[in-house]
Amino acid sequence: MMDVGRHPNITLYSYSEVDALTGFVGNFHITIRRKARYVVESECTACNDCVEVCPVVVPDEYQQGFSSRKAIYIPFPQAVPSAYVLNMEECLGNNPIACGKCAEACEKKCIDYDMQDELINIEVGVVIVATGMEVYDPTELDEFGYTRHENVVTSMEFERLICAGGPTEGHFLRPTDRETPKTIGFIQCVGSRSENRGNPYCSNICCMNTVKDTLLLRDHYPDIEAKVFYIDIRAFGKGFEDLYKRSREGGVKYIRGIPGEIEENPETKNLLLTVENTTTGQLEKHELQMVVLSLGLVPRHDGDLLKRFLTLSNTVDGFLMECHPKLKPVDAPTRGVFFAGCVEAPKDIKDSVTQAGAAAARASILLNAGKVKVEAITSRIIEEKCNYCGICARVCPYHAIMEPDRKAKKAPVVIQAACAGCGTCAAECPQDAIEMRHYRDEQYLAQIEALMAERPHEHIVTFACNWCSYPGGDDAGTARLQYPTSCRLIRTMCSGRVDEDFVMHAFRLGAPIVLVSGCHFSDCHYIDAVQWTQKRVERMWNKLERLGIRPERLQLDWISAADGQKFARVMRELEEMLKTVTMEEIKHTMEVLSNGKAEKKATAAKKAKVKKKTPTKKAKVE
Amino acid sequence: MPEAKFKCLRCGHEYTGSYTPGTPQELTCPKCRSNSVRRLPEKKPAQKD
Ligand SMILES: [Zn+2]
Repeated sequence: MMDVGRHPNITLYSYSEVDALTGFVGNFHITIRRKARYVVESECTACNDCVEVCPVVVPDEYQQGFSSRKAIYIPFPQAVPSAYVLNMEECLGNNPIACGKCAEACEKKCIDYDMQDELINIEVGVVIVATGMEVYDPTELDEFGYTRHENVVTSMEFERLICAGGPTEGHFLRPTDRETPKTIGFIQCVGSRSENRGNPYCSNICCMNTVKDTLLLRDHYPDIEAKVFYIDIRAFGKGFEDLYKRSREGGVKYIRGIPGEIEENPETKNLLLTVENTTTGQLEKHELQMVVLSLGLVPRHDGDLLKRFLTLSNTVDGFLMECHPKLKPVDAPTRGVFFAGCVEAPKDIKDSVTQAGAAAARASILLNAGKVKVEAITSRIIEEKCNYCGICARVCPYHAIMEPDRKAKKAPVVIQAACAGCGTCAAECPQDAIEMRHYRDEQYLAQIEALMAERPHEHIVTFACNWCSYPGGDDAGTARLQYPTSCRLIRTMCSGRVDEDFVMHAFRLGAPIVLVSGCHFSDCHYIDAVQWTQKRVERMWNKLERLGIRPERLQLDWISAADGQKFARVMRELEEMLKTVTMEEIKHTMEVLSNGKAEKKATAAKKAKVKKKTPTKKAKVE
Repeated sequence: MPEAKFKCLRCGHEYTGSYTPGTPQELTCPKCRSNSVRRLPEKKPAQKD
């Protein structure tokens, strides 16, 4: 942190927040709110005179409330810059000044009660998101009595109690009697690996944090008897198994089972744990003087704003989703944005540092190049066809399309550097006024025609996305899984590219079944483009029904790249469905879709609905 | 969250479930695990848009 503060190429904005963030790779505009600290940091020498006279005493958040601080304080000893900050909400009064003692005491006259928040605008080429995580709040797990029993503490609180810089200066004392406990228990997976309460995922760091804590206790207080209650210990990192072994050999008892209840002895304040030891199958009672809840990690509660700013999405666990879990683990799906640390997933210090190094390296590649190479698969607006409805700008997962100006008859503009080429805009455009370079509508229609050229009634036309379902088919092939030969694949970059015209064209040419397949919602490589696929398929089901065509003939499936099993299963199921589609049915469909009248009627009904829903379209001059 | 009727277009299974209006969700048929699950229109099935 000190090095960062001193580095000539790093500007550190402490006590600041991002107010706004717009733009795209190479051209991000950031508005930073530098909050008023009411202390001129360049003048402050951290002499402590102001703190001594400040009459306001409040719990110290950094020490987990075990000690107090003043209204003017340094957040933690290693804070950079080493300057005080005055919390105006706690201060006895600024307007009018009711106290003013700190200003009187400050020889250098650093206190400025009139300081205001400052807005700073900066332009940057790339952004690294390293906003971290939070720890799980265990109050909902009533059985552990965290809010009732003082001697039940969290792993964060334990950290402060055992730290030399903590409220007890490293003397490990239990809260109720300020004596060093003789017995202590650690409960693992608090808020993790639970389907009902807390979170279903493993928080990655808690096992080794507890192993480390037990070793610390062994070193400083060899007489303390420590017990660890666990589901299973995950010691998978380099040297971790050795630490776990040392902990066990040092006498720490590891008991496989999570206590169902903690009761407190009102006199001794000792804690009675009831636990089913799943190794022996016995119900056990353990009396301990102190219990530490090993908390899991959760995404930051205020992460949504950042997601909106940078058009990021999250995986089901709430942490930010990377561009590709294996090949681009530090890149965000938005070009020019990178991740470091727990904002992406729970990880320990070593992994965080590794990822931070990788993110910095990835960022410097772009910065040094000074320009961005864009794959020639981006979208292009065909201005003559555009009616300025603006749907493309609204559906773009990357906000890469600038809204059209209806009055000025100015078509939307695609920011080529920000476009990822998913094709959602092209598929959603009601005017077919968007063309995807190298994945043009004509190319897809030609592929469909080629597939349908011979015995169309025997083929299942399958649209498969480049990232998940197409590799899912590959996976089925590599694993030598058997699936019917009726499957005919057409690869799209994203399932969001599958235009209604493609599906109807396949039916028009005699396809008995059409399958649209893509990534699972949580794996979508184009942020949330897959949601538009779902919406569009639902619209198509309605349309088919209006036309008297069985909606069942249009199928939808989310298949991940590693799920060859599912790919093969879906194909076998569709082969069975194919047998239920009669030649008469296919002929009827071909007729309905070929004469155009019925389809036009159905489409007109749909478009009327779209118009109603799109207020900007009402003013359209046709 | 409001409830709606869903129909699996693979196996035909119909069931009632909750959904978030305006936010498409990944739907999976509880019976056959297919994602071809359609939320049935609330009032009239199909004809009217
Ligand atoms: Zn089903």
